[in-house]
Amino acid sequence: MPQTLPDFSNSVKLKYVKLGYQYLVNHILYLLLVPIMVAILIEVLRLGPDEILNLWKSLHFDLVQILCSSFLIIFIATVYFMSKPRHVYLVDYACYKPPVTCRVPFATFMEHSRLILKNNPKSVEFQMRILERSGLGEETCLPPAIHYIPPTPTMEAARGEAELVIFSAMDSLLQKTGLKPKDIDILIVNCSLFSPTPSLSAMVINKYKLRSNIKSFNLSGMGCSAGLISIDLARDLLQVHPNSNAVVVSTEIITPNYYQGNERAMLLPNCLFRMGGAAILLSNRRRNRSRAKYRLVHVVRTHKGADDKAYRCVFEEEDKEGKVGISLSKDLMAIAGEALKSNITTIGPLVLPASEQLLFLMTLIGRKIFNPKWKPYIPDFKQAFEHFCIHAGGRAVIDELQKNLQLSAEHVEASRMTLHRFGNTSSSSLWYEMSYIEEKGRMKKGDRVWQIAFGSGFKCNSAVWKCNKTIKTTTDNPWSDCIDRYPVHIPEIVKL
Amino acid sequence: MTSEMITYICKRTVVSTKPAQAGKCNPLSVFDRLMEKNHIRIVYYFPSTRNGEPGVVTKKLRESLSHVLTCFPIVTGRLQKKDDGHWMIKCNDAGVRMVEARAQGSVEEWLKNVNRDKELMLVTWEDMFHKPYFWATFYVQLTEFEEGGLAIGFSCSHLLADPTSATMFVKAWADTTLAGTMLAPPFFHPLPPPRLGNKNPNHNPYTDLINHYKSTIDDRSPAFTNNITNYVTATLAFSGPMVQACMLDTSRPSPFEAMAGLLWVCVSKVKGMKQGLISMSICLDMRKQLGLDKGFFGNCLVYNKVHHAESLLDKSELSEAARAVGESVTKMNNERIMDLIEWLEHHDYEFPPLMNGHDLICANLEDLDPYATLFEEGFVPIRVSYYVEPVFGIGQILVLQSPPSEGPLSRMVMVTLPADELSKLCDDDLILRFNPTILMG
Repeated sequence: MPQTLPDFSNSVKLKYVKLGYQYLVNHILYLLLVPIMVAILIEVLRLGPDEILNLWKSLHFDLVQILCSSFLIIFIATVYFMSKPRHVYLVDYACYKPPVTCRVPFATFMEHSRLILKNNPKSVEFQMRILERSGLGEETCLPPAIHYIPPTPTMEAARGEAELVIFSAMDSLLQKTGLKPKDIDILIVNCSLFSPTPSLSAMVINKYKLRSNIKSFNLSGMGCSAGLISIDLARDLLQVHPNSNAVVVSTEIITPNYYQGNERAMLLPNCLFRMGGAAILLSNRRRNRSRAKYRLVHVVRTHKGADDKAYRCVFEEEDKEGKVGISLSKDLMAIAGEALKSNITTIGPLVLPASEQLLFLMTLIGRKIFNPKWKPYIPDFKQAFEHFCIHAGGRAVIDELQKNLQLSAEHVEASRMTLHRFGNTSSSSLWYEMSYIEEKGRMKKGDRVWQIAFGSGFKCNSAVWKCNKTIKTTTDNPWSDCIDRYPVHIPEIVKL
Repeated sequence: MTSEMITYICKRTVVSTKPAQAGKCNPLSVFDRLMEKNHIRIVYYFPSTRNGEPGVVTKKLRESLSHVLTCFPIVTGRLQKKDDGHWMIKCNDAGVRMVEARAQGSVEEWLKNVNRDKELMLVTWEDMFHKPYFWATFYVQLTEFEEGGLAIGFSCSHLLADPTSATMFVKAWADTTLAGTMLAPPFFHPLPPPRLGNKNPNHNPYTDLINHYKSTIDDRSPAFTNNITNYVTATLAFSGPMVQACMLDTSRPSPFEAMAGLLWVCVSKVKGMKQGLISMSICLDMRKQLGLDKGFFGNCLVYNKVHHAESLLDKSELSEAARAVGESVTKMNNERIMDLIEWLEHHDYEFPPLMNGHDLICANLEDLDPYATLFEEGFVPIRVSYYVEPVFGIGQILVLQSPPSEGPLSRMVMVTLPADELSKLCDDDLILRFNPTILMG
């Protein structure tokens, strides 16, 4: 008992020291400004009004000088305001809620596996072990074509799934925002594994009868981080085109990619990937400023493709029998960790408060000059962000990031619960997580959100959003019927 | 020819809309465990609906099936053996198998030319796997007829449901499709427990019923005979007045007893019995006698051998037969069934018996009320056929209700016998006296 008390009081003292340090460094400018202003005020009071008037008369301003200086000021101000990047607002977004009849309980998934992989009990066992530890729940959904025994992943079925997911998300978005299809100036659709001709963006344009001078883009092959790449692209386009609306549709079409072979490394995606999609409306119009939910602050993209191991770690290829599947290498987590470090190094200076940056700099200098054995300082990102949306790629990804960034269970709750309820919906999972945080009533004005996504390549992309107004809970979102049941405790291993 | 008439489109699994409570297990009762070797197949025929588009009705039914399964976790569960070696259902949410098919022609045309083999093609079934934990116990087949009409084939293992429960499930499905709610929710609870306390020391457990079960359990012959007999089924429809005439002839108050007696006599003749009657057991639903709700889900059918007087000097064979049936029915009361349940609880057997493996079985399925199953307003089933498979031994007679348009007393009897005997039966004078319409066979 007496052993712990001194430690406790020590840690409390340390906490206050840290708080004091942070406050001092983060507000240094204000803290320096206040004494200067006080000094000037005292000086002014001391001089008295007559003295000040005399001071003023002795300056000898003439008209030309006054005019030139005011023009200069106006000129500099105009250049400053013109060259400021346009603010990009996220007006609203809509996530696709799959129908309950597409639900895939664990038992059904395993039975189907058993019936399809009749000759490979080892592969079935492997899938069962993955599913037990996956962190998925019993309510995740697969598209109708995968429910058949055997599955029928035809192109028609894939198009059917694309229409179902994308059109539902778009309808929901148009209804939520009151946007008219004719007002969409930019359309970006990202879907990594299904890329028909005409593209999915052409499919959207055809269905909603969008304008003929629309700027449309279709990103394929870019993995689970394609959602943030689309946001980045939309942002760049909105800098060039004033007064525009951009719609970004992020989805992943599962139907054509159900692996029907026996290679273990390729069976993993079957267990984790599920149906989902999201449609997001971004705008740089002034009138959307007051009703927008978020403002985009930063997007940071890191690509580790130059490294061969990183390039090959998520690889789509044919197995020995000629069946196509996505093979995940064993050092996926290590590479993800490296990519994250790179990304953090870039995003850190942009978002971290001065106190953290100073500490990081000091430790860096110290390690280089004084003693290489000092522990590297991991900046505390919890001071830069209120909410974290980590791509729900799998339980391992979330665990790894929670450890690396030293996040608490509540910070990663949105990611874990999204994985449980919807599975890995690839690029749209970040939007389900945002929706979770909003529906829990945790999103307040001024809150900063950090979205992190990993993808094949190997890429690590981040987006930073600032909440524009406190968001009220609604009923037209994918969590509306189950949010009260969450958070749930997800056991390490679910006994099947 | 038949295989070209029906094209199978796909097979899939239908799951409930809400996840089942994890870890829930339901043990099977003594009556359930006896029926391991049997399965039930039911076919409902519906007339053409307004929706002409193929696949629309199937989709709607599939969705409503998902909703109704939420209330029947036993139906979506899987079989597992408990520690004591008895079966139980683990409610693991695995779902039911559904097959979708399309048939040429219209329902009415089909019904004109149907026979047992063709009808069984409308109901999919898979025998128990080596590993029953991955074997679906319930199967549904939806066959849309290209020129109008729908056939719903429903099959299930007899371990989990008897024809009453199966009919109730399909009715619940229909109610959910029609109105969104079930009119009669199911009851999942065990059979009434054995009576506590000391019984009357003079109480003599009804040994006839128990003996019948004992002999059936001990009889291993059906398991060894290679069933190469070609069984055929005929559906005979007896109109209301004819059934009434039969009841008058036999002076029995119940249509079942009259019909059972009639069929017993005729089948005995056809089997070549010059004198006396062949061995027959009746099979009745004991829910009322046990005080169970009609919504009790599980097996509650009890078999009882019918004993008839050997000498028929002063009575007609028909009346004697019907009287014997009536006597058997009366003997099956609460006390005796409870004794049977107690006996079964205490007597384990190594190999599951075949309850319909030896005698001629005559089952009373009059009260099932399948014609109240409406999936769409105003569309009453044209016909509902029942099969309890596999058929062994002498044969099987199922006494069913007729479509409501025929009147409350009319009955439909489905007789399953070896092919040559069945044709002789349909030409028998006694049967023809009651002028049945041969709907099938």
